[in-house]
Amino acid sequence: MDATRGTTGSGPGRREVADGSPGIEPAKDIVIAGLRKSFGSNEVLVGIDLTIRGGDFVGLMGPNGAGKSTLIKILDGVYDRSSGEIQYGGEKVSKLGERPEVGFIHQDLGLVDELSISDNLRLGQEPMRRFGPFVDRGREREAAVRALNNIGLELPVETLIGALSPGEKTLVAIARVLERGARVIFVDEATSTLPPADSHRLIEALKRTAARGATVIMVSHKLSEILDATNRVVLLLDGKIVADSPAASLDRGALVEMLVTREKEEVESEDLTNARAAVEGKELLRLEQVKGGHIDGVDLTLKGGEVVGLTGLPGSGLHDLAHLAHGTMKARGGKVVRAAGVTSALVPPHRETQGGFLEQSTLENLTISSLSRWRAPWRLLRGGAERRDTNEMIERLNITPGDPGAVFGTLSGGNKQKVVFGRTLLCAPQVYVLCEPTRGVDVGTRMEIYKLIEELAAGGAGVLVVTSDSEDLFAVCNRIAVVVDGRLGAFLEAEETNPQELEAFI
Amino acid sequence: MSTTEAAPAADSGVKSGSSLRGGIDVYKLLGASITFIAFLVVFLIYTIWLGGKFTSTDARALDIHQNTPVLLLGLAVLVTLIAGQFDLSVASMATLSAFLVVGLKLNQDWPFALVLIACFAVGVAGGALNGFLVVKLRVNTFIATLGTGGVFLGFSAVYSKGTQIVAGAGQAELPSWFSGANSLGSLGEKFPAVLVWIGLAAAAVMVFLTLRRMRPAATEPRRWDLISAAIVVVIAAILFVLGLSDWVNAISWTIGVLLIVALAVWLLLDYTTFGRYLRATGSNAQAATLAGVNPGKETFKAFVLGGVLAALAGIILGANQGTASPGAATSFLLPAFAAAFLSTVILSTGRFHVWGTLIGGTFLVWVSQGLIVGGVPFTWTEVVNGLVLILAVAFSSVFKRRMT
Repeated sequence: MDATRGTTGSGPGRREVADGSPGIEPAKDIVIAGLRKSFGSNEVLVGIDLTIRGGDFVGLMGPNGAGKSTLIKILDGVYDRSSGEIQYGGEKVSKLGERPEVGFIHQDLGLVDELSISDNLRLGQEPMRRFGPFVDRGREREAAVRALNNIGLELPVETLIGALSPGEKTLVAIARVLERGARVIFVDEATSTLPPADSHRLIEALKRTAARGATVIMVSHKLSEILDATNRVVLLLDGKIVADSPAASLDRGALVEMLVTREKEEVESEDLTNARAAVEGKELLRLEQVKGGHIDGVDLTLKGGEVVGLTGLPGSGLHDLAHLAHGTMKARGGKVVRAAGVTSALVPPHRETQGGFLEQSTLENLTISSLSRWRAPWRLLRGGAERRDTNEMIERLNITPGDPGAVFGTLSGGNKQKVVFGRTLLCAPQVYVLCEPTRGVDVGTRMEIYKLIEELAAGGAGVLVVTSDSEDLFAVCNRIAVVVDGRLGAFLEAEETNPQELEAFI
Repeated sequence: MSTTEAAPAADSGVKSGSSLRGGIDVYKLLGASITFIAFLVVFLIYTIWLGGKFTSTDARALDIHQNTPVLLLGLAVLVTLIAGQFDLSVASMATLSAFLVVGLKLNQDWPFALVLIACFAVGVAGGALNGFLVVKLRVNTFIATLGTGGVFLGFSAVYSKGTQIVAGAGQAELPSWFSGANSLGSLGEKFPAVLVWIGLAAAAVMVFLTLRRMRPAATEPRRWDLISAAIVVVIAAILFVLGLSDWVNAISWTIGVLLIVALAVWLLLDYTTFGRYLRATGSNAQAATLAGVNPGKETFKAFVLGGVLAALAGIILGANQGTASPGAATSFLLPAFAAAFLSTVILSTGRFHVWGTLIGGTFLVWVSQGLIVGGVPFTWTEVVNGLVLILAVAFSSVFKRRMT
């Protein structure tokens, strides 16, 4: 195969490669029977029975804390199961991980930023040798080009992983498991952190892999992806499978109905919008030609009762702007002006690494930013009052498990997000800077968070929603602007634009 | 299963989270107490093997009395460990402080109040130096504290010209309340038993309140209150049978000081904003920053507090011995770390805490003392300390992995 083909990237060339890419021998069936898992007294999986046939493309959905990630991690061997059995091709196994024909793509992709694509593809495998200790670079390179072509990624294989976009990295991770001979691929919420264009590429690559005969099991909260890509939808709720249907028999409405367990309170939401309009718009925060990080001169004002949406690609400086507005990044130039007495609270963009304190309790994670609320003489804390307020917040946000002493690290991703969100609510600031507020949360929680944001604005707070998810922007924001290369584009009224128009600006 | 069946299941599923099913977390309870129980089994074996020679209250109280500087160093290490830092200089600080408290009185004949102030000032300065190096200059914490430890130990040698400082004829003497017979440093001078009883009563109430909060959802509150009270009464009864009154009467002033300091550090770490900020810092400094905590400031404070506690350990060592010898506290570093790490597996699941440090450090010394009483040469002590430290930390690591 012509090694340069992969870098030219013309349409017809790609199809040629696709036609030439080898089919994958169908995988063996995976049978899961009576699988249970509990962490302490917290039962996360309460009996999973699931048969995945070779060649299935399964979409695994469910609200936060339903046990999706736990199921995947048990199959991978990260966790031991409490009881039940797993069969692979009729043979009882303790886990599916660590065999070349099964690949797992977690949110942490396990790629090494400092190495090239080609080297990353070979990681964990015997190098191709010329003789003795000498590596056959040429042959490895060819294999890498072939692997990239198979998933439709057109990049020079010498590129360092660090230079790739998040979506491209995910594609490389998939190419790597395929290269090792994977016929079954588990993908755990890989698209939740990706911008739309990247997730689209990823879904295309997965469809392409499935079409070649591989089994794909994809965990996602995004309905459109699931409907577009999969041929079978499995819905997990409270550790049980509550539905298992062919994707063709479902539409968006049916899926939402399955996922959203609470009735939407449309009327109340309308009241909130009116209340928001009624709030006197006092200026809370003003950025004047602010520079810092990747941001190079941004003007922005935020008024009380207003929800301003900011979006942009990774690397555009979007998150730096959030940190500048909140004050966790010092401005290199320009001015950040806060009205007198205005405080702000932040939901950080990278929940996994910046969100919370894994080995500490839900209570400690919730109250860390607002401890002065419960301060008694001698700098002691009024534990009873703190516990009461924590329980109220747990109830308000419907955090599970509802025990304030639960270890934060054992909560599901969406519940962690709720705790981090609750932390900012307890601060009761005038300005909220919310980065990716709905990342990795289920549809029901998403609605709750939108409602909460509207309530905050109705209460007179100013909210800055910094997100790569356009659904956030159109659900709650009054004004939307796009950050491109450290500069802010013109503001658009949310009601007068649409996602397609917005994407053109990105 | 069809989708039409799914909707009702989804409706009813919202509130039936498995965490509400109730029941005490047996696994967690076992995990928190298994090391504690393992130690008790060892002591039971010692009791069968050695009888009264091991179970003598006075002898075991003497162990704690002599071990008090180590336990104080354990608290010093604990404070910095919570902030995620290893302070390797505490033992050297204790040695320096022991030299100062004895030497400034005996050789320079300073007023004793001034001597004590000087010791604490050196502790603050040493801790601040560590904090400055680690927080401001971002020197690796091992290297920084290893270096300052060398400096502190060096200063003590320079000050004493490398020899022991002992009271001699014609020299000033240490105050009689501080060192010698019937003083702070002697085993004979007992701490007021009333205070110990008050403390124990308070502890019983604390245990009761903690138990009450652990109420399983299935049990009704009134019933659980009774169960909690019963548990406290049973524990108290067992302790009385095991000779609690003898123990209360065996507590020396040195041990009393240790308990008061431990109480203060416990309140500071678990019931103040400082303690919360410190734990957040040690857990994830970046997340702490974004949550509005200043990790550098909290870490600095932790090093200063560690320095003060190390200086106090040196003072108590001086009081106990009445003399100061080169490297007096050097061998305390390992058991101090062992005690702090044992706290993560004694009545706790992976969390550093004050009472576990005291219990761990005490159990550690009893394990080696039992062997010594049984005829094993005392030179084996370090081997035992090392092995127990490794076992405890390995155990806590394995356990943490299983919990998350």
